[in-house]
Amino acid sequence: MSGAGVRTNGLALAAIVAVGVVASFAVHDAVTLDLAFTLLLYAVLGQSWNWISGYAGNISFGHAIFFGCGAYAAALCVTNGVSPWIAIPAGALAAAALAVIAGFPTLGLRGHYFSIATIAVAALVETFVRTAPWLGKANGFELPIRSGWAAMQFPSKGPYVLLALALFAAVQLATIALERSRLGYYLRALRANHAAAASVGIGERRTKLIAFAWSAVIASVAGVLYAQYTLFIDPPSTIALAVSIDIALIGVVGGIGTLWGPAVGALVYVVLAKGVALRIGGAGKGYDLVIYGAIICVIAALRPHGIVGSIVDVLRRRRGAAAPDATIACAP
Amino acid sequence: MTERTTHAEPLLQVRGLAKRFGSLLALDSVDLDVAEGSLTGLIGPNGAGKSTAFGCIAGAMRPTGGTVRFRGREIAGMAYHRVAALGVGRTYQIVQTFADMTVLEAVTTGALLRHPHVRDAVAHAEDVLAFVGLADKRYRLGRGLTIADKKRLEVARALATDPTLLLLDEVMAGLTPAECRDAVELLRRVLARGITVLMVEHVMEVLMPIAQHLVVIAAGKTIFSGTAQDAVRDPRVVEAYLGAPLEHQEIAVRRAGDGAS
Repeated sequence: MSGAGVRTNGLALAAIVAVGVVASFAVHDAVTLDLAFTLLLYAVLGQSWNWISGYAGNISFGHAIFFGCGAYAAALCVTNGVSPWIAIPAGALAAAALAVIAGFPTLGLRGHYFSIATIAVAALVETFVRTAPWLGKANGFELPIRSGWAAMQFPSKGPYVLLALALFAAVQLATIALERSRLGYYLRALRANHAAAASVGIGERRTKLIAFAWSAVIASVAGVLYAQYTLFIDPPSTIALAVSIDIALIGVVGGIGTLWGPAVGALVYVVLAKGVALRIGGAGKGYDLVIYGAIICVIAALRPHGIVGSIVDVLRRRRGAAAPDATIACAP
Repeated sequence: MTERTTHAEPLLQVRGLAKRFGSLLALDSVDLDVAEGSLTGLIGPNGAGKSTAFGCIAGAMRPTGGTVRFRGREIAGMAYHRVAALGVGRTYQIVQTFADMTVLEAVTTGALLRHPHVRDAVAHAEDVLAFVGLADKRYRLGRGLTIADKKRLEVARALATDPTLLLLDEVMAGLTPAECRDAVELLRRVLARGITVLMVEHVMEVLMPIAQHLVVIAAGKTIFSGTAQDAVRDPRVVEAYLGAPLEHQEIAVRRAGDGAS
């Protein structure tokens, strides 16, 4: 990964942050701010998923449980009078522990077997939450309303967008660092060929457990923010299979194993899912889901590497071997 | 065995290596020694168990019997990546590249074993690529290379881990005569670096001029161990490896003679 690639990605990120900061102050339209918050939150969740499923190649269909760790940590903290800021490390710890426990026996499984295992683990966790009184069972939690930075609650949506933007920027920077780190190389090697990876001394379980734990931590922080934003969480909105599938779709559509794939996937998701829903979903006939589903199918069929993956391929072919930085600047 | 006989013990010592797949006995009893700094050839007819023996030595497979001692340490059944970390590098009979990585990235991945910082690993990988003659293709994708270059890339990736022992599984297979000569020249330079090589080769004439030592296995057993010159005169080898039909023997012996000249 060359310096030029990092500069390009850094500049792009800085531009997004600058626009976001200005927008969070200048825009007062609640619908627009809500879309921006959702977009950033999903971009973070998609990137979280991308760490284990994109870079390492273990497709997770249970990522919502890590999101839920953060959301429930926030709910438990706030309802017990503890600062929601404490929920960030607490939820992260719980998510990382859950990832290690779930990942230890399953991360060595190949292909769809890992995916099936994640569905099973997520179903177990959901059943557990739905029956545990201290986790609100099926009713979930309503968070008491307070206000201010200490309580991580705000009367307007602008500060939430700022927080989501900060989280998004941090996660993108972490992913840039991942791509340039030994862990990043090792994950890509394992994804490409686990036997060849072992032959150069890469321990699969250890490497993937580290990635899975970080992936869970990222999703958990997003969960804290989500709970503070909606002030109401329950199993369907946080840990259900449908949420896991949304997260995976965002990762796949944007382009797995790429830095900007999850952000693009989130953009497609928000524009399509929410946009279509806003325009015609009100009819209550579910057209929005049909259209959204059809678009996902088209992207999956025509562009199996996702949107960003396709762009990377085109750039690679155009610049070829002549420009050494080309492959590196956009290396997934 | 006493503590300080390691200088007498070969770098790699395999005794009674066995591997059973269900009811199939792929390896019955393989013995082989690889002296430090040498190039040892492992040959045998198709299905003799060469690749299985390789897999068991490298750690890719768990042998069902026998011992594998590397630098005086028992490694049979040890996890694959740990064997690599101890200093055993390998290539595959059927090339196993990191398809979506560039040549430089793939070799850097190997270099990261001894150079945890990416910057150092890239520098080391550049050196290795220059050494094997792939420097001008460093930004190409592994999957886009010719067979000869893919094999070279595998050697580079293994060399980047700074192995003490390099296991080469049919690196010459599928190469043109000119490419074979290049590969042999590269092998000589690898040996000159002090790296010990154990190579499986189906084509015997490739090994004749370069191997100090040949081990012949047939039906999962070591049937010969000695110099290449002795191997072609050994009746067991001629029968098992070169095959019983007379015309095949003549061709093989003639080829072996060409290779040695």
